[in-house]
Amino acid sequence: MNVITDAICPFCGSLCDDLTIKVENNKITDIQRACVLGHNKIAGVTDHARIEAPLVRKDGELVETTYEDAIERAAEILVNSKRALSYGWSSTSCEAVSKAIELAEETGSVIDSCANVCHGPTTLAVHEKGSPAASLGQVKNRADLVIFWGCNPVHAHPRHMSRYSMYAKGFFTKKGRKGRHIAVVDVRETDTAKIADTYVQVDPGCDFMLLQAIRSAINDNEDVIPEIVGGVPKETILELATMMKEARFSCVFYGMGTTQTRSKYKNGDAVSSLLYDLNQYSKSVMIPMRGHYNVTGFGQVCNWETGYPNAVDFTRKFAYYNPGETGASDTLLRGDVDAALVAAADPGSHFAQEAVKCLAKIPLIQIDPYHNPTTELADIVIPAAVVGVEAEGTAYRMDSIPLRMKKFIDTDFKSDEQIVTDILEKVRELKRGA
Amino acid sequence: MSELIIKNAAVCDPLNGINCEKMDIAVKDGKIVESVSSNADTIDAKGKLTMAGAIDGHTHCAGKINVGRLMSPHDMRMNPVNGLSGLQPATSVTRAQAGYNTPNTFALGYRYSKLGYTTLSEAAISMMAAKHTHEEFESIPILDKWGLTLFGNNWQVMNYVRDEEPEKLAAYLAWGLRATRGFGIKVVNPGGGEAWGWGKNVTSIDDEVPDFDVTPREILVELAKANEDLNLPHSIHVHCNNLGKPGNYETTLDTMKIMEGIKAARDRQVLHLAHLQFHAYAGNSWREFESASTQLADYINTKDHLTFDMGQVIFGPAMTMTADGPLEYSNARMLHSKWSNKDVELEDGAGVVPIVYSPKSFVNSVQWAIGLELALLVDDPWKVMFTTDSPNGGSFVNYPEAYSLLMSAKKREQIIETLPELAIDRMVLPGIDRELSFYELAVMTRALQSKMFSVDTIGHLGIGANADIAIYDIIPDKIDAGIEHEKVKQALSATSYTIKSGNLVVQDGEIVSSPRGKTYWVNASGRVPSEINEVTLKDIQNNFRKYYTVAMSNYVVDDHYLPNPIEINTQEA
Amino acid sequence: MQKVTLTLREKNRIPIVADSITPDNFAGLSDRDIEQIPVWHGNSQVFLGDIFEVVVDGSDTAENVVIEINGDVSRIKRIGQGMTAGEIIINGNVDMHCGCTMSGGKITVNGHADNWIGCDMRGGEIEVNGNAKYYVGSGYRGDTTGMTGGKITINGNVLDFLAEHMSGGEIHVKGDAGLLLGLANNGGTIIVDGDATMAAGEMKKGLIVIKGTVHEMLPVYREDGTEEFNGETYRKFTGDVNIRGKGTLLIK
Repeated sequence: MNVITDAICPFCGSLCDDLTIKVENNKITDIQRACVLGHNKIAGVTDHARIEAPLVRKDGELVETTYEDAIERAAEILVNSKRALSYGWSSTSCEAVSKAIELAEETGSVIDSCANVCHGPTTLAVHEKGSPAASLGQVKNRADLVIFWGCNPVHAHPRHMSRYSMYAKGFFTKKGRKGRHIAVVDVRETDTAKIADTYVQVDPGCDFMLLQAIRSAINDNEDVIPEIVGGVPKETILELATMMKEARFSCVFYGMGTTQTRSKYKNGDAVSSLLYDLNQYSKSVMIPMRGHYNVTGFGQVCNWETGYPNAVDFTRKFAYYNPGETGASDTLLRGDVDAALVAAADPGSHFAQEAVKCLAKIPLIQIDPYHNPTTELADIVIPAAVVGVEAEGTAYRMDSIPLRMKKFIDTDFKSDEQIVTDILEKVRELKRGA
Repeated sequence: MSELIIKNAAVCDPLNGINCEKMDIAVKDGKIVESVSSNADTIDAKGKLTMAGAIDGHTHCAGKINVGRLMSPHDMRMNPVNGLSGLQPATSVTRAQAGYNTPNTFALGYRYSKLGYTTLSEAAISMMAAKHTHEEFESIPILDKWGLTLFGNNWQVMNYVRDEEPEKLAAYLAWGLRATRGFGIKVVNPGGGEAWGWGKNVTSIDDEVPDFDVTPREILVELAKANEDLNLPHSIHVHCNNLGKPGNYETTLDTMKIMEGIKAARDRQVLHLAHLQFHAYAGNSWREFESASTQLADYINTKDHLTFDMGQVIFGPAMTMTADGPLEYSNARMLHSKWSNKDVELEDGAGVVPIVYSPKSFVNSVQWAIGLELALLVDDPWKVMFTTDSPNGGSFVNYPEAYSLLMSAKKREQIIETLPELAIDRMVLPGIDRELSFYELAVMTRALQSKMFSVDTIGHLGIGANADIAIYDIIPDKIDAGIEHEKVKQALSATSYTIKSGNLVVQDGEIVSSPRGKTYWVNASGRVPSEINEVTLKDIQNNFRKYYTVAMSNYVVDDHYLPNPIEINTQEA
Repeated sequence: MQKVTLTLREKNRIPIVADSITPDNFAGLSDRDIEQIPVWHGNSQVFLGDIFEVVVDGSDTAENVVIEINGDVSRIKRIGQGMTAGEIIINGNVDMHCGCTMSGGKITVNGHADNWIGCDMRGGEIEVNGNAKYYVGSGYRGDTTGMTGGKITINGNVLDFLAEHMSGGEIHVKGDAGLLLGLANNGGTIIVDGDATMAAGEMKKGLIVIKGTVHEMLPVYREDGTEEFNGETYRKFTGDVNIRGKGTLLIK
């Protein structure tokens, strides 16, 4: 039996690194300390519907083929495209992301990550205002006030609260939960809100208004705040502001409730502006609750390799960046790409119907361990090892701390990194031939 | 194996006492050798200025720079320095390039190579994010790199300093260098970073660090001693308290003075002061702001225990990035600009803020002058490292601009004339007519670095050195740099040839090949007695168990992140 | 006078980047010359002659060049980028970044405009006789200075983020505006005849006039009496108070 300690969970952006995994005869027999989401992902490697062999669509049906054939066909599609979209890459390793960027550059494609439909607006906000952040341990060791804004860690990041935020005990926070005030701002009383000390219900789409009002309160401009803002009474707004000012160390964790609602990236921008002023009185930081375990890593690698964090368009050989124009959903909604490569993502279920229609019309290559609705649209399906279980590699936690994911069991499936490397080689071969 | 002969080179090699002498250089298997066979490839240098590959001893090239990139997508399009900035398409040899102050990794490698640089010292590795720095190192082509690890606000360091446990302190530093694959000890605003955990700062070397019962003075002195006990190749590398504040030169002098008694383990300084320009301000307020370069240079001219780098300011947009978290917040408030912050648990912080240095601003103009003053007022070039603290004072692509300022009093005069009168009153530059020679420039950009980092295979062209060579389109005895400063600037902006480890990487200012570089790291664990190591490890484990949010085993950087390592073992030295 | 008529041969789906279509570039060129100007169609280079039927009448300097574009160019980007003089008339819908960074001359769009029309504009004039989408007259990502001069008139409606980071010039929208118009205005003038939502955050200086209804007034402005504008009386607000802004917001 092989016991792997300090194993890293390849599910969410919390990237818990304290799991113990037992392996017998290349089978995972025990998973300790993972939450139910992480447990399902790791155990599901054998349970869920794996793509068992490379597939290619012939006469409307997906039929089995070899890796070589699938990779060659994929390369042909990319070489022949005028503007292909490469999308996903958030549930894979940084090493695979790096290769995917090289492939996009080589084929004059657009490349984007799942942040496009998740925390992409977070990066747009950083362009505007920067990001006053900290590592999660600063929250664990110092925070006496934690605000969850538009996020619900009880369900989406279950161990976040015990490891980093709500209950965590640290050097200056020996009392853990008892010494920490928890506030939740959300449109509905989530399960996280139910265990908080303060719950503020904001009207849908009014986060920006509320953030502006709190900022006015922080700056002693109470007179400009009307009696109710976004459904929140002025009195509550003033209380929130006082709470933030009087904390020794506060952190705002924000989720898709702020990034994907009305005003989108301007909400993150407003949190940043609020903290810019608040730090004159009290230490305060913000950390995005990133979903996919390595969507942060995609942003990091893409940023250092291209200059931009996502949505990079290489059609003109240099890197061009303009979300709203070069994002995955932007291009699919306009239908202005003629091929797509989707890896470690499922736009078939997560994108708007118009975008999915576009995917259905164009040649689509899928790289993924599992069958999902995107498979139904794909013309070439290349099965991959599950990174963090069957393949190792680097991932970045939601606070941009890098960790090296381990491999628990062996597999015959190729890793994402290997598949992209093979496609890239084939593409270069085809281009040389042409 | 591969052989190369460079003929008719005008070699400027201060470490070997060679001052622009015409000679041939033979290269075999990436090293400089006595002679090569007649089959060797030949480069005819035609009397051109030939130096060892330059070494940037203090640059922000990996890690925190990514925060700067994220804050400034518009920087990617900026193109103020033709050929060395902006968006450039991929070619058959190069990847796509972008940026000016915060270029992508590929652009960093190519553009430094075009300037004749072959080695970079990243100024700050955040311990917990060290893998990130190494990932970016791997992505920067051509150049060799190393990084200095941040220790100045580390809980375990401060605890050992307070508890007077110098042996454990040394053991922890050795562990930390290994865990982060760092090269040396970086100290940034000692104590101030911890105070910033609560939104506060320290204001002198004798302020107490909140909750830790130590002072910056104690942290600095104990780290310097431990540095020498470990026989590290570099001295402690210090970013003083009070960066950027009027009147801060006194803190800087204090910091220099407390190091006078430290005994060096090697033939080098015991203190390196980073970006001294930012620490050389007199006056009690911004209204009274003036240069204190004379006060600092007078002291440095009488002492031999320290080196410093300039931190020269370049007019135009720049991006400040430092582990000095409280400084960056006050910068952002003062400049009304964007602000990024990144505190790291138990260790340090970081901040990133964009800035524009304007020749119309009296403060910026004086800052611009101070960097030059320091370099010109300190008599011995072996104490002065050339930097802009890239991209804090300005992007490295502007180095040739700053070289030509150091080499031409006339050029300085032309710029000074355009500056605000108030600024001219507050600087001493107009009275300085010293002009640096190519030899002195070679000291400040190559030779000194070899000595101050104790790496004897780089920074010179002697037998056995790495074949890192830069050949510039200048015939040294046929040019008067004081007058033909524009020509000098152009020639130093793009080499005729850059050779890295024996490979031709730049020809006529264009990248012709892009090999991978290597990463240096320092292993000092051999200097730590095993019983001390054991008790120290217990303390480290305790911190991981109680306070860190990652496991110790996941924290350390493993071999995977250094596919081409150069390990320097301090036991063997 | 030089008249250049471009007639689209076939509507494209994959975008074409045609930043070369400016009076500056066309001045003094023959039809054959213009046909041979390269443009990007996706990741391949084609020539203007492949895309358009080109007819040139006369030859003159940029200020006397009129370019008329016929056909649906809603997938042709960057028409008029950086132009300094002359005129472009687009008889149809136009794609993104039309007239961006232009500093002189005039662009008329007889149709709808896509996102980023007049972005980073320095001078000159743009008139859209239809609707425009997002980021009219705004800046590029990350930049803190958008449009600095010139005039944009949209005779229809616009979507969100009108005039973000504007720091000079004038924008007049005759219909409604979307969310968050005039964010971080630093000296521009924005007039909206119709309605707007959450207008004018983080204004440092400048003037924003909303003649219709302001939905969801941001709680960052202090009311400061009334003010006359073009013969009408408005409630005057000053802010954004959180950045000690001196901007003026006039609403009914």
